This record gives sequence, C-alpha cells and structure tokens, in this order.
Amino acid sequence: MSADIDLIAVEDFLYQEASYLDNPDLEKWLALYSPDGTYWMPASENQHDPVNEISHFYDDRVMMEIRKRNFVHPRASSKDSAVRCSHLIGNIRHAGRSDNGDLIITSNFQVVMFYREEQRVFAGTYQHHLIERNNSFLIRSKRVNLINPEAAHKSIIIYL
Amino acid sequence: MPLSNAEIARLVEDRRVHKRVYIDPEVFELEMERIWGQAWIYIGHESQVPKAGDYFTTNINHKVPVVMVRDKHGAVHVLHNRCGHKGAKLVEQRSGNARGAFRCAYHGWTFQHDGQVLKIPNETGYDNTGFDLKDSCNNMQKVAQSASYRGFVFATLSSDAPDLETWMGGAKDCFDNLCDRSPEGEVEVAGGVLRYEHDCNWKYIIENLNDTMHPMVVHQSVVQAAQDYIDTLPEEAVKQRSEAEIILPFGGSYENMEHMGITGFKYGHHYDGGKTSIHADYSVDPEYHKRMVAAYGEERTKEIYSFNTHNTLYYPSLTIKTAVQNIRVVRPVAVDKFVVETWSFRLKGAPDTMLQRTLLYSRLINSVGSMVGPDDLECYRRVQDGLHSDASEWVEMYRQFGRDEDLGDRVRGGGTSDLDMRTEYAAWRDYMLQEAFS
Repeated sequence: MSADIDLIAVEDFLYQEASYLDNPDLEKWLALYSPDGTYWMPASENQHDPVNEISHFYDDRVMMEIRKRNFVHPRASSKDSAVRCSHLIGNIRHAGRSDNGDLIITSNFQVVMFYREEQRVFAGTYQHHLIERNNSFLIRSKRVNLINPEAAHKSIIIYL
Repeated sequence: MPLSNAEIARLVEDRRVHKRVYIDPEVFELEMERIWGQAWIYIGHESQVPKAGDYFTTNINHKVPVVMVRDKHGAVHVLHNRCGHKGAKLVEQRSGNARGAFRCAYHGWTFQHDGQVLKIPNETGYDNTGFDLKDSCNNMQKVAQSASYRGFVFATLSSDAPDLETWMGGAKDCFDNLCDRSPEGEVEVAGGVLRYEHDCNWKYIIENLNDTMHPMVVHQSVVQAAQDYIDTLPEEAVKQRSEAEIILPFGGSYENMEHMGITGFKYGHHYDGGKTSIHADYSVDPEYHKRMVAAYGEERTKEIYSFNTHNTLYYPSLTIKTAVQNIRVVRPVAVDKFVVETWSFRLKGAPDTMLQRTLLYSRLINSVGSMVGPDDLECYRRVQDGLHSDASEWVEMYRQFGRDEDLGDRVRGGGTSDLDMRTEYAAWRDYMLQEAFS
C-alpha cells in the first residue's frame, strides 16, 4: 500500500455508496459517479471486454439515468415489490493506479437481497476506479465480479 | 394414475386452454415425455465445437443429459451423456475439449467422440462371462436422431419424427434469413451466454414472444423512462445511441403491432413480422451494407433486409431473432421453473459493430439485469400465482379467432391475434395425444 492513500477515507466512501443501494436511492448513488462513469457486471469469469462480450449489466451514465427513472416508475411491475439489501464490504485493498491516475481499489462483498418474499445471497469482488476529488472521490468505474457469474440468476432489479 | 388421452384432450379447446397445463406437475411430466421427448429440440450451434473433441453439454428435456461433440472427421454427434458401464454422467462440464476420448470418472472406461467404447480397464475379468465389449449397448448411445441446419444442431429422442427440415416447414426461412444477413452466409456463436432463471411454467415465455398485446403495457415504464431522459439530451447525442432504437419500439402502438402479422406452421412454429417488425427501423451500418452489397448485389441485399421478423419460435425449445442475431433457448426444469439461455451470434464477414449491437440488445432486453426481461417475468409469475384460483378453469385465446387465413403450408393472421397461441396448443394437443407424427 502506498503511503499517500487514505484507506479509511476509501472505506468510508465505499460504505456510503453501499448504503445508497441497501435502501435504494439511485439519485444519490448516481451523484457518486463521474460523468463518464460506468457500472459493469460481467456474465463470465475473467471477462475482459464489456462491449464484445455479454454482461448482466454494463451501464454508462445514460443507462443509469434511464434505470433511475424506471426504478420508480409506477408501471414497472417488477419494482412493485420492495427490494432491500444488506451490503457487507471487506478486504479493501489499494491495487495500484490506472493509466489516467485513478485509484484502483479492490474489495470483497456479500450482499443479502430481499425481494419478492425471498432472501438471496450474492458474493464476489468489486473493483472501483476512483477519482480523488475534494477530500472525497468520484467513481469512474465499478466492476462487480460475482463468484457465480455464469449461473442462471433470477431478476436482479437493483445494482449490487 | 396417469392422465388418460380423453382427459388430455379436454385440456385444450380451439379457443381456450385449461389452467392445468400451466400448474399441474403431472401434466408437466407428460409434456417432458411427449413434447420434449418427441419434438426436435435445439441443442447448440456447431461453432461451439469447432475442433475435434470439443463438446457442449445440456439436457434435452428436464432430465435427459446429452453431449454435442465433434469427432476427428469433423462430424458433430449428439450422444446420451451416460457411461455405457454403470451409467454415470460422463461429461460434467458445460463445455470443453475431450482430448482423444471421453473418460469416465468412475471406472475409467473410455469412449471415442462418436460414442464407440474404446477401452475398459482390466478386461480379463469379463472373460467367459457372456459380456461382449463389441456389443453396441456398451457405447455411449446416440440420440434417436440429430441433424443440423446451417449450423444449428437439433436432436430428438423420437425415431418417428420427420427429418428436421420437414419438421421446420416454412419456419426454416427464418434460419436462412438469419444466416444470409452475413456477407459470408454463415453465423457463429460469440460473446458468451446469458442464463436467466424463471420461477414459472416454461410455456409463458413462448406464448409471450409474439403476444403483441403486451409490450405497450408491460414495457411502458422502460419506454417512458428512456423517452423522458432522451428528451433532455441534444438530438445529435441521441443519434449516436443504439439504445433508443432498441428500447423505444417496445412502446409501439396496437396498429403497428397488428400490421406485423403472425404466421403459424405445423408442429407449433410461428413468427411475427415478415414485411416489417419492431426491429425494422434499425439504422444500417454503412460498412456492413457495403460488404453485403459486395457479397450479394443491391437487389438481393434489399431482399434479405426486407424479410424482417420479430421472433420465430421453433416449438417448443428455440426462439430466434433474425434481425438482431440472437436466440433464446428454453430449458424446462419443473412445472414452475425453467431457464432461458440467450446466445448472441456474429455475422461472419460483418464489421464488429454488428456483434456489438447484438450484445447490446441481449443485455438491454434479455439479461437478468435488464429493464425488460424482469417485467415480463413478473407478469408470468402473476399468471402462475393467479391460475391457482378456482375462479375459472380456463385461459382464453379468442383474439381474431375465425379470421385466420389458411395458405396451405401456413396460416396467416393479424399481429395482435392469438394465432400464435392457438398454433402452439394445436401442436401441444397432437404431441400429448401422440398423434403428431402419425
């Protein structure tokens, strides 16, 4: 770990992001992303490319904005049932810097999701690319590596 | 006691279907035996097994495990995934390469890629026992019939089924159109697969494909969410986004949907669209167009584009999107559970942008994280729950009944008719009464 990284601040930021997904508030969640921010959940292990390979999610700002509006739309029947999550994040590590200087942070996550009278568990690793700004951060990209990306999942109606 | 044919026959009328077909586990078990155990079932695409020994495994119905494998001569076989010895499933992984031979994990029997038993350990133990290694019963067994059409491999457990092309009938045109959209006339699987668990009966998804009365209701929310946001963007920015032309047509009017038309065939196959579909207004990549014209000439290229279908169902297991180049495969599990696989295809010889749009479509519409699939599934779930009510025993399929036009080898009807559902249940009845191939 390099000395100039304040891992406590990084931790705080990741916890803050997770809290906006626990009881989904996509307005606040989206504000944590840079204008060119992306959210990516590959559909296979070791996937390198979100454009030439298939993913469960690969949203840029435009898709996030559409999803935010869809999530609260009264006619989106899959959103009639509340979704609530509990994110646990740990093993937070500084994994270097990207070419453009973004901080690369990896962490492990376990998310328990309650939806449609059922509790489901997701687990895996996150990789965040963070832009340091005004004592806090903006997310340039978040990659969600499920331990079982190839499994047949049921609907995932909220970002993990 | 199993259902009698008289009881089965009473479950399907020409304009109504009994709720038991969706919720009764006994009916499901019979469907697995009589529909999925007789019809041609989609296994996979030859491009998934390019080299000798490459294999892909799946189930032909809810249980029977099979493996598609290419042998050293280039032939593709569909074999029962069962050791000829004690019956263990031979190949556990979804895909891979069996170098040289399949080897059973239990007692080490080995088999050639065409299923022929190769070697068994400590063979002398069988001397003078009456056991004959040359008896074909020791091989991995071939399924009753397997065949490939333009690279798409199907198999059937029935030796009475007609050959694959006869069985597809006029619905075969859609495979031709999908492949002809490649400048080289061929497609290949690319970009990986999506798997989506549905906790409801398998028939809802195939009844939903060409149910054009639902998109403007079920998908209103995503269309409005997209439109609301797009309205805040400058026009130039919108033009560069394929998302708009993919999502917005789901809000098409009843008139547009009616105009697509539905065409039904023997054995339950159908497609909607033809002259036009909700995919018809996609922009054409100029580089792709150039390569198509170089390959086929202007006139033939136009003809290929002009056959524009929405969904084509090869009843009961496969639905393809010719204009999008993806397919969905239905894999039943139980009366209230199935898995949908979405596979995307590269048009050989086309620029990468074409595959990228296919993958974008699969992700936007068919993934577990999409804003379209989950609303469809929500509605299937509600039907699955609602049908347990005793308020009525019947589900209706009356729309435009009596207005279908019989063209001999096919039936044409309005795009918002229930012709698709009636076509499926005519086949359902024939398969279930074991009259489909007689």
